[in-house]
Amino acid sequence: MTTFHAPPLAASVMTEYYRQYLAVAVFVGAALVMVGAMLGVGALLRPKRPQPEKYITYESGSDPFGTFGQQNVRYYVYALLFVIFDVETVFVFPWAVNADHSGLGWFGFGEIAVFVLILVAGLGYLWRKGLLSWA
Amino acid sequence: MILGVAASLVAHNPRIDWFGIAPEGTLVATAVAVLLLDLVMPRRDSWQTSRLASVGVLVSLGFVVALYERHGGTTPMFGGAYVVDNYAIALKGFFLVVAYVTILLAVDYIGEGDYYQGEFYFLLLTSVLGMTVMTSARDLITIFVALETISIPTYVLAGYRKHDRRSNEAALKYYLIGAISSAFMLYGMSLIYGVTNSTLLSDISDKVGQTGHGKVLAVAIFLSLIGFAFKVSAVPFHWWAPDTYEGAPTPVTAFLSVASKAGGFVAMLNIIFFGFSNRSNVWWVVAWLLAILSMTLGNLTALRQTNIVRMLAYSSIAQGGFMLVPFAAYGIARDHGHLSVAQTSFQAVVIYLLIYGAMNLGAFGCVIAVARRTRSADIEGYGGLFTTSPALTVCLSMFLASLTGIPPLAGWFAKFVMFRSAIDAGGWAGTSLAIVAGVNSVIAAYYYLNVVRTMWFKAPATEAGPVQVPSALGFSIALCTVLVLAIGVYPQLVGHIGDLAAKAASVATGS
Repeated sequence: MTTFHAPPLAASVMTEYYRQYLAVAVFVGAALVMVGAMLGVGALLRPKRPQPEKYITYESGSDPFGTFGQQNVRYYVYALLFVIFDVETVFVFPWAVNADHSGLGWFGFGEIAVFVLILVAGLGYLWRKGLLSWA
Repeated sequence: MILGVAASLVAHNPRIDWFGIAPEGTLVATAVAVLLLDLVMPRRDSWQTSRLASVGVLVSLGFVVALYERHGGTTPMFGGAYVVDNYAIALKGFFLVVAYVTILLAVDYIGEGDYYQGEFYFLLLTSVLGMTVMTSARDLITIFVALETISIPTYVLAGYRKHDRRSNEAALKYYLIGAISSAFMLYGMSLIYGVTNSTLLSDISDKVGQTGHGKVLAVAIFLSLIGFAFKVSAVPFHWWAPDTYEGAPTPVTAFLSVASKAGGFVAMLNIIFFGFSNRSNVWWVVAWLLAILSMTLGNLTALRQTNIVRMLAYSSIAQGGFMLVPFAAYGIARDHGHLSVAQTSFQAVVIYLLIYGAMNLGAFGCVIAVARRTRSADIEGYGGLFTTSPALTVCLSMFLASLTGIPPLAGWFAKFVMFRSAIDAGGWAGTSLAIVAGVNSVIAAYYYLNVVRTMWFKAPATEAGPVQVPSALGFSIALCTVLVLAIGVYPQLVGHIGDLAAKAASVATGS
């Protein structure tokens, strides 16, 4: 009777695992080629008429002043708010897409409602503390 | 692709044991209610939030007791990622009691200073929520989320004295260390997932038991343990702890040194006993080294402190070392094939945690009380305390004697179960652990009893009246005193809880 030696997990699983990175490598290569092509072709085709105004930092139409300015610290509240609602989207979106055929029904609705309500409580807190108005 | 994963996750309605997660649900509801109540209350009434928070914690504790009475055994949820067994229930109870005592310790401190009150209790409750989730977590992702839920509010709490530079330093150091330790831990966890293809601890335990992947698993386990070593401030990853403990508001320090540390140890219990048992040859050496270094360096540095909060910080590092002893003992015993030690060492960690919580919270309660009069934490300032505040002196002496391990106070039983696990493990490694722990207990006696000597026999440094102890603070100190005395005289109180926990754990590990 011959004894069967299961191959160690390493050999089969790990090569398969690394092979999946091939797709990543292809994507990286494609990205480099595409960006290079777009910038390169653009540089060849576009007319060159340099004016000093064209080299000014774009500030949504208003003239920039100074060379380097400190960000107002109050922006951090907006950054935080953005992150919170960004994460909310990440959770709500998959639920919304699957809401009708996931079989979760009112249970799922209740869960997502609790989640959103907790976030709304946080928003209410910020509002009440006056963080939404530019003081 | 992400949507596909999401679809497969929500494909079936999860069965949820609502009763089983009632304690956590209560905590969430209370936390949100505290935050909203604080918004509608006028500023002078915002101390009411502490009342709401403590009621919420007590209701949650009531659910925990009801769960214990249910005798339902283990209830796995979410595919086994979340388990409410006797071990989880016992520790949930512990964390809720700690939370209640912390609220009592904090209520006057926070009420009298110029602090935001509602937010304080909100953050505290959120952190406690993470702890109660941690006791049930049997999955790497759940463990990680629980650990972050514990940690993130405490970064803010450590910096609660906004206008004090040392408090800011405390918060920043704690935050940076938290980020570093999370990074180590996640790197280790990702390697574990890469090897085992699962985040469930039960699956990981099976896969880890098979041969192969020796080096990858060794690195993975090592990195996750380093992450936890930061969280429980084990030497050589401890240097943040004294600065953070000194700078943070003292009630927060009490909470950090007891609850937050216990949270880290519960995470370690889960991941080592339920996940890595079958690779004990990798981690026992790490646990052994961490235990010996933490005990020795923590104690030797505590000897030289003149500030009682820093002394308690180093002493808590040393106590953490004592708590690491049973982990190492378990690994050693497993390597020798004595599986029965699994029970005693698991029990030892749980019992040590429960007792350490009672005595350390009590000691911090007394420190907070004394600081109300002296406005400092210098040990010199404790001179002659017996003549002005005899009751407080007796209580603090008891807590310090208990931390030393003198019978008939609770601390001796904690030390006893810890020594028992090391001696049961046997071999040169187990014996050396027991010897180092013994020597360290003697060193510790010097600095603990030095404070006692100062209080009883030194002349008072300044002419000062007795310490005024507010009722909430007094009640919390009394509660800890009763616990320390009762457990010391009748150790079966926690011994029973330890038994239950160990039995629940052995069901899970199948040893």
